Amino acid sequence: MGNPRRQPNPERRNEWWTTLPSAGWLLVFFAVPTLLIVVMSFKPAGPYGGFGEGWSLKAWADMAHPSYPAIVWRTVWLSVAATIVCVGLGLPVGFLLGRADEKTRALLLLLVVVPFWTNFLIRVYAWKVLLHPSGYLRETLVGLGIIGENTLLLYNEGAVLLVMVYAYLPFAILPIYASAEKFDFALLDAARDLGASSIRAFWLVFVPGVGRGVLAAVVMVLIPALGSYIIPDIVGGPAGEMVGNKIAQRVFIDRNWPHAAALATLLMIVTLLPVIFAFVQQKRESVPDGSRKGGGKATA
Amino acid sequence: MSEFLVFDGVTKRFGDFVAVRDASFAIEKGEIFALLGPSGCGKTTLLRMLAGFIEPDEGRILIEGEDITRLPPERRPVNTVFQSYALFPHLTIRDNIGFGLKMAKRPKAEIDAEVDRMLDLVDLAEHGDKKPDRISGGQKQRVAIARALVNKPRVLLLDEPLAALDLKLRQRLLVELDGIHDEVGITFLYVTHDQTEAMAISDRIAVMQRGGLEQIGTPAEIYEAPVNSFVAAFIGDTNFLRGKVSEILDAEYSRATVESIGEIRLYNDRPLEMGEDIALSLRPEKIRIETHPPAEEAGLNAIEGTVDDVIYLGSLTRYWVRVGDQRIAIEKQHARYQLDERLPAWKDRVWLSWRADDGCLLTDFAVEDTELLSLPPEGDE
Amino acid sequence: MKKATTLRSRHPLPVLATAVALVFLYFPILVLVLNSFNASRYGASWEGWSMRWYELLFSARSRDIWEALQRSLVIGVAASAVSMVLGTMAAWALNRYRTRLQKAHFGLIYLPIVAPDILMGISLAIFFVTLDVERNIGAITVAHITFCISYVALAVLARLQDFDGSVVDAARDLGANRWQTIVRVVVPLLAPGILAGGLLAFTLSIDDFVITFFVKGVGSDTLPLKIYSMTKHTKEMPVINALSTLLLTFTFAVVWWVQRLSRARAVA
Repeated sequence: MGNPRRQPNPERRNEWWTTLPSAGWLLVFFAVPTLLIVVMSFKPAGPYGGFGEGWSLKAWADMAHPSYPAIVWRTVWLSVAATIVCVGLGLPVGFLLGRADEKTRALLLLLVVVPFWTNFLIRVYAWKVLLHPSGYLRETLVGLGIIGENTLLLYNEGAVLLVMVYAYLPFAILPIYASAEKFDFALLDAARDLGASSIRAFWLVFVPGVGRGVLAAVVMVLIPALGSYIIPDIVGGPAGEMVGNKIAQRVFIDRNWPHAAALATLLMIVTLLPVIFAFVQQKRESVPDGSRKGGGKATA
Repeated sequence: MSEFLVFDGVTKRFGDFVAVRDASFAIEKGEIFALLGPSGCGKTTLLRMLAGFIEPDEGRILIEGEDITRLPPERRPVNTVFQSYALFPHLTIRDNIGFGLKMAKRPKAEIDAEVDRMLDLVDLAEHGDKKPDRISGGQKQRVAIARALVNKPRVLLLDEPLAALDLKLRQRLLVELDGIHDEVGITFLYVTHDQTEAMAISDRIAVMQRGGLEQIGTPAEIYEAPVNSFVAAFIGDTNFLRGKVSEILDAEYSRATVESIGEIRLYNDRPLEMGEDIALSLRPEKIRIETHPPAEEAGLNAIEGTVDDVIYLGSLTRYWVRVGDQRIAIEKQHARYQLDERLPAWKDRVWLSWRADDGCLLTDFAVEDTELLSLPPEGDE
Repeated sequence: MKKATTLRSRHPLPVLATAVALVFLYFPILVLVLNSFNASRYGASWEGWSMRWYELLFSARSRDIWEALQRSLVIGVAASAVSMVLGTMAAWALNRYRTRLQKAHFGLIYLPIVAPDILMGISLAIFFVTLDVERNIGAITVAHITFCISYVALAVLARLQDFDGSVVDAARDLGANRWQTIVRVVVPLLAPGILAGGLLAFTLSIDDFVITFFVKGVGSDTLPLKIYSMTKHTKEMPVINALSTLLLTFTFAVVWWVQRLSRARAVA
């Protein structure tokens, strides 16, 4: 049989052509710079800012400075607290969205999403105006006797937590809603029928049922929260500083770039490693399908 | 003339999985040829290789002597009716049908005329300006056929074209499809897993299993003279009788001892030897069931059993009769109004009889094929 | 399903929580809009209606605000255009192939979405400094494209989920070559996803502060950077309120228009 030799697989070639532009771009402008941070954290600081010559462990040694653990701790607890509040509020909202009829759902969804389209900075800034010592909110609360004359609402950890919840709440609602939409609400009837109270049915049936959405919500809130910069910068003051502020200070004020790189590496380890780990884990679970037809999805 | 479309030693592998193994056969001009088999048997892969979406690893595909094995799909003289119809949702019915002609850069007036003609053929003239999501499943199906036919392909490929429709519509469209075939006279290659569909529409059927061709023939040949247990069990229902040749009577008939049934007479579909293991396929409708012994007759096999199960289906009744360790399926047609006749009932002693020529000797028997029967064997077998 | 709703007694908690969430989301925005019309400079007390902040916004003194907006728009359009092309190709590859390469590709697409902005900002800043690249409007655009690609890719990927791949085969079968198939079938069918992704990319680009803050060199302020420097000077606060109100109104108008458009299409 005069068979022509196996040609280079055209499907494989098409795959490379469609993958290369985006993968190449992200490799050069995302993956390489991200890894570069780690490398540059082992450089000494330059005499006039930036990076010096050779290699040094100084930036990492400096991480032991007493001011850092406190800030890392604050960053972690504020982010975790914000995540808990957002998910806690997102669950009932997602539940309502999932159960609502089409029209109500569309309207509510729009209302949740619209604040997204307002400049983030402006939204944070709006809180600064509200919480300002002479702003409405404080005046009202003082007037009602809820807080004392000397209580400041701005420039503390509480203000940062409040605004983080405000800024990241839609990130919790949307993924929970996405899961709730696929949730079979008849399961709640089944739970009620079997004797569960509505609250227990919610906790024991609905919450596990939207587990994937909750997990996504945690990722979508916790990770940006850990990397917060604007919120503590605008409403936190020195008492509400987080790791993000320290990174910016090292870059813009001290111009100690290796320090900034070391801090960023820390942040990266805390935020991206769990995601990469989850990703690899997921990869192992999915079984490669050997019987895939040549046309890929098209034949399925 | 008879070598219109030829598959010559076509093989396709996906990794370690052999989707099509050394397929060689020819389709005649103007016939409706069905590729029939369970899902995963390789029939769709064969069709996609003909359409040009997949390249075979080995072998050639020829249309009227021209080798099209390596041509891209857009340059092949074939068109496909896809299982999901694959109508372009953003185009109107007219534009869907005219798509191929537009790609061929035909003048607009000609395209319009051709599209009108096709809309008439498939009876959709008043729906031309609608988008595909505004018409029913059966109408989509007809658009898909029109869109392929308008290009006057030398072969029309139909990939499970009726699978997405309900039974009544399927039967109606089958008749319509046959009508269209008579009208346009194009060769059809019809892929299906539904044996009724294949039997109803095709001039010839190729039965496939696990990437290989099991048998090619007219519907009657396939049904009445299956070569092996797979074909026998996949097309319609049957009984398998297995035994040993005990006596060669003459050139035409022999005797065999069948497990739990005893001595039977059978027709020599091929020359047999004494002591040879044989497997026989005996269709349920070939067996007569009576509450009394049949009259003695040369060439008639008669055995006695007990009715195990009865299903009344209106036009016929299905019986399963226990004979020793084996259960035999029988179909009794109700050609006459028969409330006055007493039909065999559960637990009745009955006599089964069939003519020696009505069994079909199989060249191959595989035990797992018994799983395809309407009543699989009981656990201990 | 009617019966199901009668069995379930409606607990007030979800409705209550949703109401609280919505008030929470909109309260500061409302106060901000109100304050843009407040004659008082500090917005602490109501000193009567006034349009003075809007007048100030449109006066020659606020010229750099408009320049910053213009710069933001240029970057936004360029970044979303490029990311629409790259993101669509990425989504196509991710959807069509199930190879190890695509697993890695998906990782590359997914990580920029979860990575904190500040990480991306500092890494690109260090990257550009190390390569000694001039950190001008071009560098900002490159940075924006980098975070926009992923969002476009995911939007198009969502659209591809209910894309019947056999229409591509059908187009080829009917004589369209590769290019004709892309132009006449694939792109029109994916258009809603591509546009949605592009719109999202544009909003994200216009909205971005942190990454631009780190990447930019001297002088090329985008609108968020301009707003940021204004928040640091209390005197200018009310002008930001006015600007924010205008941007809000614009956003709502666009949303309303898009909604109407999609409703009109649903009816047709």
